[in-house]
Amino acid sequence: MDVSLLLIRPAAPEPIYRQIVGQLRRMIASGQLPPGEPLPSVREVAGVHAINPMTVSRAYSLLEAEGVLERLRGKGMAVAATHRRVQSEDKRMQLIEPHLRELARQARELELSPEPVLRRLGDLLEDEE
Amino acid sequence: MNIVATPMHSHATDNAVLAPNEGAPLSSHGLMKFYDGKCVLRDVSLELQPGSVLGLIGRNGSGKSTLIRAMLGLIELDAGEAQVFGGPALAMSDAVKEKLGYVPQQPDALAWMRVGQMLDYVGRFYPHWDRAYVEHTLDRWMLSRNQVLAKLSPGERQRVELIRALATRPQLLVLDEPAAALDPVARRDLLRELALRAADAGTSVLFSTHIVSDLERVASHIAFLHEGRLLLHTALDDLKERYARLQLPAALASQGPFAGEIHRRRLDHGGLSLVIERDADRDWPVIAREGEAHLDVLGLEDLFVEIAG
Repeated sequence: MDVSLLLIRPAAPEPIYRQIVGQLRRMIASGQLPPGEPLPSVREVAGVHAINPMTVSRAYSLLEAEGVLERLRGKGMAVAATHRRVQSEDKRMQLIEPHLRELARQARELELSPEPVLRRLGDLLEDEE
Repeated sequence: MNIVATPMHSHATDNAVLAPNEGAPLSSHGLMKFYDGKCVLRDVSLELQPGSVLGLIGRNGSGKSTLIRAMLGLIELDAGEAQVFGGPALAMSDAVKEKLGYVPQQPDALAWMRVGQMLDYVGRFYPHWDRAYVEHTLDRWMLSRNQVLAKLSPGERQRVELIRALATRPQLLVLDEPAAALDPVARRDLLRELALRAADAGTSVLFSTHIVSDLERVASHIAFLHEGRLLLHTALDDLKERYARLQLPAALASQGPFAGEIHRRRLDHGGLSLVIERDADRDWPVIAREGEAHLDVLGLEDLFVEIAG
């Protein structure tokens, strides 16, 4: 995996370790990172993004505990081989659930009715494909 | 007091490199300092754990430089105790000085020397002096070896000092407002260097700043200093997950203080803006569930402005 794929936003309210966990989970769930794919070392991630190495270790350890990553002997971390290539739709929906809730909250704050929001979201989803 | 180790010690350094169990790199308790009858440090206790990167944040004049100088034994205290690697800060041994890289906000040592001359001179006292780092970084930070230190701009002068401190490969780096002297590219270089040092050598770092974004990248811990008082000292990730801003309408503003409230500010229309903290079960306090209340998770900068603004 190329280390520059991670997008770190230090000023976001979400702590950096969670940003890393979330992005890796999504890339693995979608199959963008296949089982066995090696991850960049803690040092490399810390160096390229100028972030604290403990933050990176913490993200990796969390994903290891979840069974998403595994530690290869002497070779650092990789996407777990036992991890199914693409997770079920339910699983993937769980991953996006917090973002959908946030979107819904903001739409309500702006007093938007559901139809135009859903229409626009539909357009965006089609575009990205 | 000069932080550069004296030449007398240079032959006896081998045992000084990585002695275990020698105490936290920095440890201060109950620091009090008055200037002209004004209290500038109020009972500040702060520890820097090995391998952590502690960002000290506060407004100009909040006492950051005074605190750093007090922790390093560079000023006399009115009360309290400061230790460096387990020994008294006011009587640092050469073995301890050698492990410390300190960059003050306005360096003035050896000002009559040329840049290259000073670095060569200082380098002789340090067994781990990193000449390659010096050459590479002088170039990258657009500094010339031939300039006289006294004639450099304050920013250039501090850049030279940063190079000097980092080239000694210290176990403890203390940087007072390093970002002020650096453009964005050089700042990112410095942060990357700090991250790599922490990863490779477990270097402990204390740096002060009022530029919050630098701190958010590389700090593992953060301490808020406000009017000489330490308001918060916590792991950075915790901080982002533990505090939030809660806006309350005027109808609720006469009540309180509420459980979990750590700061309040009155808003123009009579409402309240609170900073609240999660309880022991990691739930937000009850007041956050009030129908009219509006909860925002805050980035560090907003939290800083909310508390210190």
